[in-house]
Amino acid sequence: MAESDNEIVTMKGISKSFPGVQALENVDFTLRRGEIHALVGENGAGKSTLIRILTGAEQPNAGTITVDQQTISIRSPQHAQGLGISTVYQEVNLCLNLTVAENILIGREPMKWGSIDWKTMNARAKQILHGLDVDLDVTQTLGNCSVAIQQMAAIARALEVSSARVLVLDEPTSSLSTHETEQLFGVMRKLKSEGMAIIFITHFLDQVYKVADRITVLRNGKLLGTYATATLPRLELITKMIGRTLTEFDEMAQLKHESGQHIKSEVLLDAKGVGQTGSIEPFDLELHAGEVVGLAGLLGSGRTEMARLLFGLDKPDGGSITMDGKPVRNYSPTGSIERGVALCPEDRKAEGVIADLTVRENIILAMQASLGWFKHLNSQEQYEIAEKYIELLNITTPSGDQPVKNLSGGNQQKVILARWLATNPRLLILDEPTKGIDVGTKAEIQKLVLSLAEEGKSCMFISSELEEVLRISHRIVVLRERKKIAEFGGDVGDRKIMQAIAGSE
Amino acid sequence: MKRSKSSFEWRKVTESKLFFPLVALALILLFDLIFIPTFFHITFQQGHLYGSLIDILRNSMPVVALAIGMTLVIATGGVDLSVGAIMAIVSSVAALLMNPFVLGTQLQAIKNNPTYSYSPFWVVILLPLIVATICGLWNGLLVAHGKIQPMVATLILMISGRGIAQLITNSQKIQIFYGPFRYIGNGWILLPFSLFIVVFLYVLAWLLTRRTAIGLFIESVGINSRSSLFSGIDEKKIKLFAYVFCGFCAGIAGLIATSNISTSDATSLGLNTELDAILAVVIGGTLLGAGGRFSLLASAIGGLVMQAVTTSMYAIGVSANSLLAVKGVVVILIILLYAQQVQGLIRKITGRTKLKETKP
Amino acid sequence: MMQNLSTLFSKNRRLLPLSATIILFFIAYAVGAAYLPGMRDTQVFLNLFNQTPYLLVSVIGETLVVISGGIDLSVGGMVALTTTASAALLRASWNPWVVMPLMLAMGATMGAIMGYFITYLNVQPFIATLAGMWIGRGLAYFISNESIVINDRIYTLLDRTKILIPGLSNVVTQKGDYITPSVVIAMAVFVAANYIAHYTRFGRTIYSIGGANGANEQSARLMGLPVNRTKVLVYTFNGFCSALAGIFLSIYTRSGQGLLGNGMELTVIAAVVIGGTSLIGGEGYVFGALFGVLITILIQTMIQIQGHLITWWTLIMVGVITLFFIGLQSVIANLKIGQIAGTKVSREKRIRQVLLYGGGAALVIVLAVLAFAVLPNATHGSANAAASTSRACQPKPFRPDQAASLMKAGAVISYERNGGANCIDELYAIYPDGRITGDNGTQQIEKQVTSDDVDRLLSFISNAGWFTDNMFSTSHVPCKVCYTYFTSVAYKGQEKTVEAVDGGTDAPPEYWLVTGQFSMIVPIFGPAP
Repeated sequence: MAESDNEIVTMKGISKSFPGVQALENVDFTLRRGEIHALVGENGAGKSTLIRILTGAEQPNAGTITVDQQTISIRSPQHAQGLGISTVYQEVNLCLNLTVAENILIGREPMKWGSIDWKTMNARAKQILHGLDVDLDVTQTLGNCSVAIQQMAAIARALEVSSARVLVLDEPTSSLSTHETEQLFGVMRKLKSEGMAIIFITHFLDQVYKVADRITVLRNGKLLGTYATATLPRLELITKMIGRTLTEFDEMAQLKHESGQHIKSEVLLDAKGVGQTGSIEPFDLELHAGEVVGLAGLLGSGRTEMARLLFGLDKPDGGSITMDGKPVRNYSPTGSIERGVALCPEDRKAEGVIADLTVRENIILAMQASLGWFKHLNSQEQYEIAEKYIELLNITTPSGDQPVKNLSGGNQQKVILARWLATNPRLLILDEPTKGIDVGTKAEIQKLVLSLAEEGKSCMFISSELEEVLRISHRIVVLRERKKIAEFGGDVGDRKIMQAIAGSE
Repeated sequence: MKRSKSSFEWRKVTESKLFFPLVALALILLFDLIFIPTFFHITFQQGHLYGSLIDILRNSMPVVALAIGMTLVIATGGVDLSVGAIMAIVSSVAALLMNPFVLGTQLQAIKNNPTYSYSPFWVVILLPLIVATICGLWNGLLVAHGKIQPMVATLILMISGRGIAQLITNSQKIQIFYGPFRYIGNGWILLPFSLFIVVFLYVLAWLLTRRTAIGLFIESVGINSRSSLFSGIDEKKIKLFAYVFCGFCAGIAGLIATSNISTSDATSLGLNTELDAILAVVIGGTLLGAGGRFSLLASAIGGLVMQAVTTSMYAIGVSANSLLAVKGVVVILIILLYAQQVQGLIRKITGRTKLKETKP
Repeated sequence: MMQNLSTLFSKNRRLLPLSATIILFFIAYAVGAAYLPGMRDTQVFLNLFNQTPYLLVSVIGETLVVISGGIDLSVGGMVALTTTASAALLRASWNPWVVMPLMLAMGATMGAIMGYFITYLNVQPFIATLAGMWIGRGLAYFISNESIVINDRIYTLLDRTKILIPGLSNVVTQKGDYITPSVVIAMAVFVAANYIAHYTRFGRTIYSIGGANGANEQSARLMGLPVNRTKVLVYTFNGFCSALAGIFLSIYTRSGQGLLGNGMELTVIAAVVIGGTSLIGGEGYVFGALFGVLITILIQTMIQIQGHLITWWTLIMVGVITLFFIGLQSVIANLKIGQIAGTKVSREKRIRQVLLYGGGAALVIVLAVLAFAVLPNATHGSANAAASTSRACQPKPFRPDQAASLMKAGAVISYERNGGANCIDELYAIYPDGRITGDNGTQQIEKQVTSDDVDRLLSFISNAGWFTDNMFSTSHVPCKVCYTYFTSVAYKGQEKTVEAVDGGTDAPPEYWLVTGQFSMIVPIFGPAP
C-alpha cells in the first residue's frame, strides 16, 4: 500500500499501433519518486514509443495513465511539461541557433517592465548550470558547443521548467565520453536524492547496473517484467531480452579460429602515413584478404575518421594508400567502390538509409552508382539482386517494394549491409554496425562478418562494445585521442586493451 | 515467409502520384460540364481540331514544358525561380537573331516579310536554347558548387535576368513575322504543333530519368543527400544536371510562348509563369522543399490543371484581372486536397484501411 | 580594440553580413556623392527615407517571417488590395480615420488566415502566400478595374505635409530639408519591431522556429514553446505591415489601383537578404531591414540622378548586390558547418577562401562602380552628355488646381509639362472650338486650330486606349533632363487624368504617342523675357 502512494506515474494496459506494426501491447509501467528506473529492450521493443506516450508526443490506442493519483490524458508535450514531466531526447532537441542561456530559459525568461531582462537571464542560466557542476559562457551560441554541453543545457532546461518531478533521459550517454557520462550520473544521483523520479533509457547495460534502482524490460512491444536491479544478474537480464542462450557466441569463437587459418599473406590495402589535420594523426595500416581487423578505442578517438579516410570520404593530408600494390589516386566514394572498398556508415539514419526509397532501391543503390548514370539496371535485375540479399541476410519485410522507413532499425541496418555486399567489395569497413540493434540481430551480423572473411574478403569492424570487437577480430588496432597507438592479435585479453586505451597509468 | 512482388491493389491507384492531379483535373472538367455546356464541344475547322479543350492544350504548353524541367529541380530539393526570366532572355535573343536591325533603322518592307530572317532557322532555334541551357548551368553552379540555397540562388537570375532581357532589346516589343518560327506556336497537325514539341520533350525527359539511373539518383539525392554521398552518388553532378535541364526546358517554353503571341516582349513574357510551373509540379505531388519521389506525367497533368482553371474562368466570363483571385482560391482548394488531414478523410471515405501486418 | 572586435565577430558570425551591408551602404553613398554632384544635397539623403516608408514597413514584416523560417509572397497583393479598398471607401465618403484602422485589421486578418493554412493545414508557405497574393490582387481588381483617385483631405494632408528638419531648413519660408509623416510612422514601426524581436517572448520564439531545415521548429515544439501560435501571429503581423505599406503607398500616389505593388515581393525579398537575414531562417536582424531598403533605393536613386542609364540597370544591379550578400552568408554558413561537424578547415584553406571571396566581391563592386560612372549613353531618349553637370535651376511646383479649373471652364484637354534641363513648367489647355492656350508662369500665348483638328486629336487619344486600364498613372523621380507630364482629357462624358515621367520604362508606351501628338499641335513659347 505504502509503495503505490510513492508512485508518481502509473501506466496501465498501454497499447499503440502504427500502420503495419503493433508497437506496444498491453504494457504496464510504474515510476516511483526518488528512483532511477531503467527502461531496456532491443530495438523495436517499444521503449521509445512508451516514452513518447508518456511525454504527450503520441496518444495511446488503449490504456490509462495516472499522474500523482489522477487519471489523465496527456495531450501534448506542453501539457506533459505542465504536469512536471520533462524529457531530454537522444538527439538534443534544442535550438542550436540560440544561446545557451536562451535555450535553458526560453519561454520563461525573466522579465523586467514587460521586456526580457537579458542580464538576469544570463545570470540565472549560469546559476542553474552551476547546480549541475557545469561552468561555461552562457552567451555562446549553442551550436558552437560540444554535444555533452548541449545535453547539459537540455537537462538544465528540463529541470528548470515548471517544477519537474519526472525526468526522462532517452539514450543520453550515446555521444558522451566516459568522464562526461560520470558527470551525468553524478547529476542524476543528486536529483534522485532530491526526490526526482528519473527514467533512464539506454542500451549500455553496464550503465544500467551503475545507476538504476529498478529495471523494466520490454520485448517486441510486450512487458517482460519490472525488477529491482540488485536482484537481477546480468546474464539473466540478457536472456530475458533476447530469449536465447548465448551459445551463438560460442559458435563464433569457433568460426573465428577456423577462418583465421585462411588469412592471406599478401597485403590488400596498405596505408602509410595517412592522416588528416584535426581529425586523425598519420597512421600506418595493413589489411589482408580473409582477415577481420577490429578497431577499438573510446568515442572520439578517431575510429570513424580512419574509416572515412580509407573509404575516400576525406582526403588525406599526406601519406599514401596503395591497393594491390597500385597507388590510389581517385579519392572519392565512387573511386573506392570501383576499387572494391565499401563503408557501412555509423549513422544509418543520416548516412545510410534513404527513407522513402524501397528496400530494393536501397539495396541496389551503391551498385548502380558504381555503374554510372547510363548503365541502368532494369527492374527485373533489381528485383533479383534485392531478393538474393533479402534471403541471405534474413531481412524481415513483406516485400522488396516496402519503403525502407517502415522497417525496424535492425532490418534497416541489414538493408544497408546488403547494399554494400551487392557491390561485391574486397574490403568492407563496418562502422558501428550493431549500434541500436537487438541482441539477436547483433549476433547475426557478427556471424556474417566472420563468414565474409572466410569467403576471402577483408573486413574492418568498428564498435564501441569492446566485447564484440574481441569476439570476432583476428587483429585489433587501438586508437586513442586520434592516434593509432597499438596493434594486438585477436586473442588478446580485455585488460590489455583497456590499458592501451586508458594510456600510461 | 511469403513475399509478394507488387500485385494490383486499389490502394496502389490511390497512392499513385497520378491520383490527385487526375482528381483535380476531373473536378475542374466536372465544373465545366455543369456550368459551361459548350466546353466540351470540339469541331473541325481550318484543318485542325477546335474548341475549349484544344485551347487548354495549346495555352498550357509553355507551363507544361517548364513543369517538366522544374520537376527535376524540385525533386532534388530545390526550386528554380528564374525560369520566367530565362524565357524572356530566350525571347529577346531569338527576336534579335531574326531581325537585328529592328532596333535601329526602319527596314519596313523586310520587317513584314514572313520568309525573311537574318539568321537561318536552326540558329534561331539553337542559339537561344544554348543560352537558356547556360542560364541553367549558372543556376546549377551556384546551387551545387556554391552551396547557396536554391531559392536564393535562382532569385538572382530572376531579378537580373529580366533586366538582361530588356537590355538586349532595349525594352521594345518586337513583332515577329518569320513564318517557320511562327509555326511553332501557331501551326497545327490536327492538334497544336507545340503539343508535339512538348510531348517530345516529355519523352526525352522520361528517357533520361527512367531509362537511366539519373531518375533514381535524383530521388535519392532529394530524400537524403548525405546517404547518397556515402553510396557513391555525386550530389553535385545530379543537381547540376537538374538545373541545366530545367534551363533547357525554360528555353523551349520561351520559344513556344514567344511564338504563341508572335511577339518578343521582354518585360512581360513569362512574368509569374514560374509560379504556375511550381504549382503544376506541386499539384503533381512532388514535395516542394523536400524533394524526393517525382512523376513527370503528374506534373504535366498539373500544368494542364492550371491552364484548365484559367480557360474555364475565361469561358464563364471572369475578367483577366479577377482571374487572379479565382486562381488563388483554386490553388488553395487543390493544395488542401494534399493536406494530411484531408487525405486521411478521403481514405476513410473510400473505405481503405491499412491491413495490420503481423510480424513473423 | 581590434581584439575586442575580432572576438565580437567570432562569437557572432551572423553580424558579418549586416556589418557588410552597412559598410557597403556608406561606401556606395560616398562613391555616388563623389561622382554625382546631385547626390550631395541633403534632401536626396532624406528622400531615400521619404520615398519608401511603404517598402521599409514591408521589409520589416517580411524579415520577421523569414527569420521564422517561412516566406510571404503576398505582400504585393495585400498592398494592391489595401490601396483599392481604401480608395473605394474614401470615394464613398467614409471617414479616413475609420478607413485606415479597418485596412490594418483587414491586412492582419488575411495574414492570420494564411498563417492558419500554413501552420495547421501544413500548406507550404510559398504556396499559401502565393495564393494569398493572387487573391489579394484579384480582389483589388474586382473592386475596381481602373485606378481610383483619392481626393480625401486627410490623405492629401498626410502626403503634402513636410516635417522640416530643425537646423537644416528655414521655418519662415517653409523651404528646406524635410521628411514626411509616413517616414515617422515607419520608423516607429521599425523601432517597435526591433524591440519585439529582442525583448519579447514572441520575438524570441520567432527566432527559435527558424533555421536548420525545420529541426529548430521541432525542438521548439518539444521545448514547449507556443510554436503554432507564434507562426500564425508572425504572418498576421506581416499582413498588418503589408496593409500599412498599402496605406503609405495610397498616400504617396493618392490613388488606389490593382496594379500597385506589382513585382514588389521580389524587391522586398532582395532587401531582406541584403539586410543580412538568411532565407534559411533562424538568424537575422530587423535592423538590417533598414539598410537593405536603403541600399535598394539608393541604387535606384543613383541611377536616376545620373540620368544616363535606364531603369532596367536597377534590376541587374540589385541582382548583383544580392549575389554578393548571398555569397557572404553562405561562406559564413559553411564555416560554421565545418565547425559543428568538428572538421577543422585548415588555416591555409580558410585564408584562401576569404581571399578568393573577398577578391571576387571587390572585383564585382569595382566593375559595377566603373560601369556606373563611366558608361557612355545607353538610353533611347534625348539625354546628352552635357547634362551630367548639376541642375542649374530649381524645379517649379506642379499646378493641378489650375489644370482642374481649366477643365471646369470647358477645356477638353489640359496638358502640363514640367521639368527638363531648364526647369520649365508649361500648362496648355485645348478647347473644343480649336483654341489652345499656353501658360508657362511668365508668358501666356494662344493659338487657333480647327475644331476638326481637336476632334481628330480626341479620337486618336481615345483609340490609343486613354480610357481603358492600359493607360494608368506612373511616377518616379525624374532625371535631370526628364519631364513630368500631367494630362487630363474629357471626351464623350468621360474624364481621366494620367501622369507620367519620361526616361523610364514604367509608363505605358501609348502615353508617349499622345504627348507626341501634343507637341506637334501646341504653340511654342518664345525666349524668356
